[in-house]
Amino acid sequence: MLGAKYMPGVDSTPKTDLPVLLPVKESARRGQLFCDMGGRLFLDVKPQHLVWLMLVILLWSGAAQAASKYGVVWQFQTVFKWTPFILKGFALNILISIFAMVIGTVAGAALGLMQVSLLLPVRRGSWVFTQFFRNSPWLVLLFSVMLLFPFELDLGFAVIPVPDWTKAVVGFSLPIMANISEVVRGAVVSLPSGQWESAESLAFSRRQTMWMIILPQCVKRMIPPWINWYCILTMATPLCSIMGVEESVTHTVQALNAEGDKPELLPVFYGFLLFIHFVFTYPIARYSIRLEKMYAVKI
Amino acid sequence: MFKPVIKSALCAAVALGFATVSTTADAGNDRFKKVLERGKVVVGVKADYKPWGFRDSSGKLVGMEIDMAQDVADALGVKLELVPVQSSNRMQFLQQGKIDLMIATMSDRTDRRKIVGIVEPNYYTSGTNVLAKKGILKKWADLKGKPVCGKQGAFYNKIVAKRYGAKVIAFVNNAESKQALRDGKCVAWVYDDSSIGSDLASGEWSGFEMPLNSEDDNPWGLAVPVDEQNNIWGNFMAGMQYRWLTSGRLIELEKKWGIQPTAFLKMQKDKLTPARKHLK
Repeated sequence: MLGAKYMPGVDSTPKTDLPVLLPVKESARRGQLFCDMGGRLFLDVKPQHLVWLMLVILLWSGAAQAASKYGVVWQFQTVFKWTPFILKGFALNILISIFAMVIGTVAGAALGLMQVSLLLPVRRGSWVFTQFFRNSPWLVLLFSVMLLFPFELDLGFAVIPVPDWTKAVVGFSLPIMANISEVVRGAVVSLPSGQWESAESLAFSRRQTMWMIILPQCVKRMIPPWINWYCILTMATPLCSIMGVEESVTHTVQALNAEGDKPELLPVFYGFLLFIHFVFTYPIARYSIRLEKMYAVKI
Repeated sequence: MFKPVIKSALCAAVALGFATVSTTADAGNDRFKKVLERGKVVVGVKADYKPWGFRDSSGKLVGMEIDMAQDVADALGVKLELVPVQSSNRMQFLQQGKIDLMIATMSDRTDRRKIVGIVEPNYYTSGTNVLAKKGILKKWADLKGKPVCGKQGAFYNKIVAKRYGAKVIAFVNNAESKQALRDGKCVAWVYDDSSIGSDLASGEWSGFEMPLNSEDDNPWGLAVPVDEQNNIWGNFMAGMQYRWLTSGRLIELEKKWGIQPTAFLKMQKDKLTPARKHLK
């Protein structure tokens, strides 16, 4: 019944031979409810879902080595022992992803607007810049930045240390910048040209049209890809473990080593990594829907 | 498929790194002075090489080489800061000046001596051997054309490939290479003999053996920046190592960390300890 009032002819088969016109609003509401319900199956993370997930990991690690003398209980105790250490590493993953996203978004938005500039050199130049960073492997960009940047900056009066993770932030913000640039350009271009034309007929200047008419409508369109890129970025941050940044994967490897590099522990430790990444990333996808509704502008 | 990308990226980046580093490096005793001035010595150690350098569950770095680093700091009267390093980045860290000293299970090789200042006398040694299923291997030549697992950054990967024609598959860490050995993806796991010995002693590898004679018994070297090898910093560390070896401190640490006693440390102690007859 979905909590709604019972409506004859709507909630049950109409008791008449005459054609019945369903109320428009009601059918729309029901469609919406159906979507919400369907969506909830996939999007609402509830405590029991986490239990299910843990169970899958448990079965996975159990199946991986049924013949081993190191039981599942022992494996989980070991992971539990190292949880604070691995979470400390994961905090750095989050920190890197947030900073890289902020820098990448600000720089990418500027670059994206340059791509729709009326000046040809600006448009071409920003296009080349965007394409270069968009099509370079993330790992190569990361390596270049990490090895080219100094470990400390000597300003003459003070020496500022540059920790590895800040270099990783720069390394990750470059591809994010390029991709956000494409998101912004794509969103601006995707709006019907009528928006520009009617703005012009109302004597809006180009800058006014962009800021007051085009960009507000773009925000809704940009939110899903923007959140997508944030999720991709978060899941890519373990790349910097190759460069020795002390994040979650590096910490996991060190924990595995401290436990004697036992292959039995591989599934459960990496399963745990998967778990914490999922628990962090998934609610963000959920939140993006709310954001989209918030910034929805009806044309 | 992934590895060549990493390798080529590393090569390119390292080449660029050299270009920038070489202009800023300065000769003399600068590093040693800096250590005293800031009252802190920064030592690069392993964090994934039990029991030489690893983490306890609170995240603290512990191990035999960490104790050695503490000895150095105590002798200098400065604070100790530990920086975890990996085989692939330890020499770059020293070159860049990010660490003052490196004690990181590094084998003393000719090519490495060109990049970092390895100081004698060497403090430890290990040979190369393999862990394999019983009865498969009799001699090194049996590895020809067969897949062999190893750890990235180990110098003997190349030797095993070149000398015996083995196909080396190098993993980032040992848990994965051991799993690959169990899964039968490779016939053997090539590594330090002392480490394989302790694995076998743990009783978790029944059905496996260390069938070959250890090769390339290779001393380990700690390193200072290459410019300071023959200056105060290098000479100081030479003195530290001499004292560690003659006083039996390293034998004591070996025992503390449950490492199988090596003949090398005992031999070095006898060899380097001066006959003090004239003092009697």
